[in-house]
Amino acid sequence: MSTIKAITTLKGWEHHVSSLPPTTLLIVSFHAPWAAPCAQMATVLETLASEYPATEPPSTSWVSIDAEELSDISESYNVTAVPFLVLIRNGQVLETVSGSSAVKVRNAIESHAKSSAQAGPPQTTDGTNGDTATVDKKEEDAEPKDTEQQKEELFKRLGDLVKAAPVMLFMKGTPSEPKCGFSRQLVAILRENAVKYGFFNILADDEVRQGLKEFADWPTYPQLWVDGELVGGLDIVKEELASDADFFKPYSTKASGDATAATS
Amino acid sequence: MLRRGALGLVRGATSRPLFMSTMASKTPVEDVIREKITAALHPTTLEIYNDSHLHAHHKAMEGSASSETHFRVVITSEAFKSKMNPARHRLIYALLKDEMAREGGIHALQLRTLTPEEEERRRAQETAPATQAKSTQ
Repeated sequence: MSTIKAITTLKGWEHHVSSLPPTTLLIVSFHAPWAAPCAQMATVLETLASEYPATEPPSTSWVSIDAEELSDISESYNVTAVPFLVLIRNGQVLETVSGSSAVKVRNAIESHAKSSAQAGPPQTTDGTNGDTATVDKKEEDAEPKDTEQQKEELFKRLGDLVKAAPVMLFMKGTPSEPKCGFSRQLVAILRENAVKYGFFNILADDEVRQGLKEFADWPTYPQLWVDGELVGGLDIVKEELASDADFFKPYSTKASGDATAATS
Repeated sequence: MLRRGALGLVRGATSRPLFMSTMASKTPVEDVIREKITAALHPTTLEIYNDSHLHAHHKAMEGSASSETHFRVVITSEAFKSKMNPARHRLIYALLKDEMAREGGIHALQLRTLTPEEEERRRAQETAPATQAKSTQ
């Protein structure tokens, strides 16, 4: 699975770009550390990146750039707001996505990753949407996908997402900034039990937010999944711990003394 | 103005004075929760706590006119036997599907679902330490 590389110097950027083969789709995420939507976008991108296998030669390359720190680069791509996504192949800008719509970002990346000659993401949609219709503000893709097919793809994605880590928390907000009392409490419980887990901020992605409710047949958040199975929400987790204090033992890092880390 | 004598059936709690039955209940959502769960699960324990006031100031509740948005419900029923927690909760969610889907309906539902055996066991756990302490003195 692919990971996002943070580029911190102009030289580093130039070196990275020149090292990429012409078929690689370069996904550049411009962010500002003080902007909350950027943190959400980072989660969305990390999750997306993890769906793309690291191939040789690389089919995708994911980098993140602090837009203010490396303002020269930002200027050359006309980055005026963050988060801002630029998709490049062979030195050519294919598409840009401004703003925090996870759906737009995902659609843009998927459509361009598919048109690469190499192995793309696991999804298999029919690949005729190589062309970029007027980028920016259009919400829907160039061609209407069959809704049945869309749902199948979404469910496949969700199936992978719930297994992204042995313990996965779908919450409102992030562990460092929960946006809901129940999510906050569940994060605290995981921390107390030194559980190593992955998280997904459902406020950052409405498609997952609604889709997961159907996929899981569960109407509420937060949702805790263990080994690809739904355990439940805060109330159930509390109950499980009440009947078995070692409920999280197999997933705890207590032995190694690690602090809880949110993995993507 | 309805005359008491003109009224037919009196529905609901018998603890309410007769004239109240002409007025709409102040807790319609809670009433529905109680009715549906009782009818479907014949619970031996059913406690409904309205926690809405604890969340009224939250962002998600902005613009909400309802005072019945967050509930905590404790249910003991034989119907939960041989079902794991997610399945038990899904049972309740299914019963209250409309109330949860409705705009301004139930926003949050915390559940404790026990079988009569589990409730008994838990009660024993809670009282056991106290009695043991007593007996060693």
